[in-house]
Amino acid sequence: MHAVPSSTDTIPGKVRGDWTPINYDLRDTWFPVSHSRDLGNRPIRRIIHAQPYYLWRDNGRAVAAEFHPHFPHKELTLTAFTGGRGFYPLVERYGYIWVWYGNPDAADMQLLPHIPFLPQDGSLPGYTQRTVRFDATSALSVENLIDLTHADFLHANTIGDGVSESDVVEVQWTSETVTRTRTVAQKSVAPIMRWVGGVRARYQDFRAVLHIHLRSNVCISYPRFRPGYDVPNLQPFLPVGKHRSRCDVTFNTTAAPAPFRYVMPRINYIIQPQDNSVVRPQNQRYFEVDPRRDLHSRFDTPGTRYRYQMEQLAERQRAGQFTYGGDAEPGRDITALLGMND
Amino acid sequence: MTPGWWAMALCEAVKDQVPLAVAFAGEELVLFRNAAGQAFALEDRCPHRRVPLALGRVVESGLQCGYHGWTFDGASGGCTQIPNLHTDERVPARYAARAFAVSEANGFVHVWLGEGAPQGQLPSSDYQPGGREFTGSTIVNMSHDQYLDAMLDGPECLLGFAHVRLTDFFLGDLRSEQGRVVLERGAVWTTQILPSQFVVDYPLIVRTAVPFNGGTVRVDLLSEDELPLVTLMIATGANRRGTTSLCWRGFVHEHVHLRAPLRWRLARLRKQAPFQVNSRIDGTAVAALLQTSSRELRELRQPTLIPVSAVV
Repeated sequence: MHAVPSSTDTIPGKVRGDWTPINYDLRDTWFPVSHSRDLGNRPIRRIIHAQPYYLWRDNGRAVAAEFHPHFPHKELTLTAFTGGRGFYPLVERYGYIWVWYGNPDAADMQLLPHIPFLPQDGSLPGYTQRTVRFDATSALSVENLIDLTHADFLHANTIGDGVSESDVVEVQWTSETVTRTRTVAQKSVAPIMRWVGGVRARYQDFRAVLHIHLRSNVCISYPRFRPGYDVPNLQPFLPVGKHRSRCDVTFNTTAAPAPFRYVMPRINYIIQPQDNSVVRPQNQRYFEVDPRRDLHSRFDTPGTRYRYQMEQLAERQRAGQFTYGGDAEPGRDITALLGMND
Repeated sequence: MTPGWWAMALCEAVKDQVPLAVAFAGEELVLFRNAAGQAFALEDRCPHRRVPLALGRVVESGLQCGYHGWTFDGASGGCTQIPNLHTDERVPARYAARAFAVSEANGFVHVWLGEGAPQGQLPSSDYQPGGREFTGSTIVNMSHDQYLDAMLDGPECLLGFAHVRLTDFFLGDLRSEQGRVVLERGAVWTTQILPSQFVVDYPLIVRTAVPFNGGTVRVDLLSEDELPLVTLMIATGANRRGTTSLCWRGFVHEHVHLRAPLRWRLARLRKQAPFQVNSRIDGTAVAALLQTSSRELRELRQPTLIPVSAVV
């Protein structure tokens, strides 16, 4: 029997109208809540939805608990998220602290996502990792990421405009993941790649694969630019309540030349305010079921598929089904899916 | 609030490059004008991903959303462009933002809110400026109803005329004129040595005209012979969180008041602002106002709401 019921905030039944991403509170998954390098002996706090996670190292070993270690008895109420034991399941991998959100008895390391471009021991230099914050719920932040056409407008000064010879967007999915592949031929070279990366060609091809784990909002992205570089990155959106999400990103640009390898991981400091300018006012308009459904174009196919798959998953959890489907395999090797072997 | 025309912005604030967001009585609107100068109003919500259209920019074919570049015609609200579509692809006809009828007059942009075809007089129709105008806009930390009430009970908390001291001695009761309640009170020049209670007849009159159901307030400074010296029109509207949007225009009449003090005449010659509308309102002063004429205004008010559907 599942110990953690679905949130009372989730919609009790299927409601006609548009989606309400604010209300997603999906259980039984690993969330990467912190870069490993950010965790020391001093306790830090992370929040998943409304659930507090206190993290610290005890003789080098990472610990996640419901309570602050310096105030262990202060109004302490242990929840079903830890099985009443106070400590959450925790794994350290890929340079992250992963904690389990849901029924602790269902925690399984096999359910950790496979991230082929990050070393399992997290041995990447510090410049590859940054923390950014989005002023929207995690689902809207993920939808922002899956939708590349907005970049042509919102991020044209960094990523480049949408002018290209051909632009093909494909999407595939399982019950637990959505994968978007965008293949663009002869696109104007992104400003950052031209001015920082030294790519002097006028046009470049690129193929960008984004693999999303629906429960955890873990977004595994593999963009490849030719001429240019691969910019593999991990963007895990931690749902810090209904209004905000936190993203501890890693850009593995170690194979790219300097100064590009140092600058690219910091591009989020430019991108994020641009995204926040739209998702911030957008967020408050998704709290309630709107009888006016959003309009879509064919460029929104990955986004609409993401919405549909999220709804399906939420529906299953509302019905008390928390197990992973046979087609899911969160930990399967995605090297080929990301196009890393091409 | 009743269905009708509402003044929402100064004409010069609505531009042909950057759109203007307006919150009015629960509606979120965006105003802009095309290169030909025609003003438009749309709901400030892209029907694609609900992002405020005011974050976008004005282009030749309408207002372009800043998120994905969907573009909407100002008059119909119809989506005229989705970027990157092939030339043989059409945008579905039903793809549209809500559009509202707009009318510009007397320096104000008016928007029709409500069902049916736009009709009736514009709220600024009795404002006919002469000479140099003084304009402004702000949001005050006071609810719309309370602002209108205070305009009757104590306008000195909300605005002031240069070199003039308002009194709270009402010259008669509220009267109804053209959809507004009108109240007059005595006023004196600040150059007067004796306090106002020693005045036999007030040298000035301040006439305040407040619409029954909100909208555009008219304030006139009159001589004792009821010749207008200064006229001020303040368009008001309920903004979010109990605040009130204001935008105003006013001017000094050509008539030179012979008994006006020298400093007032000099200020007039120097084209100094003859009034100020307060952006910051003294809460202590407002709280101390006695409920006088606003009591009658509340009784006259019609408790109707604006239907949410657009008219275009």
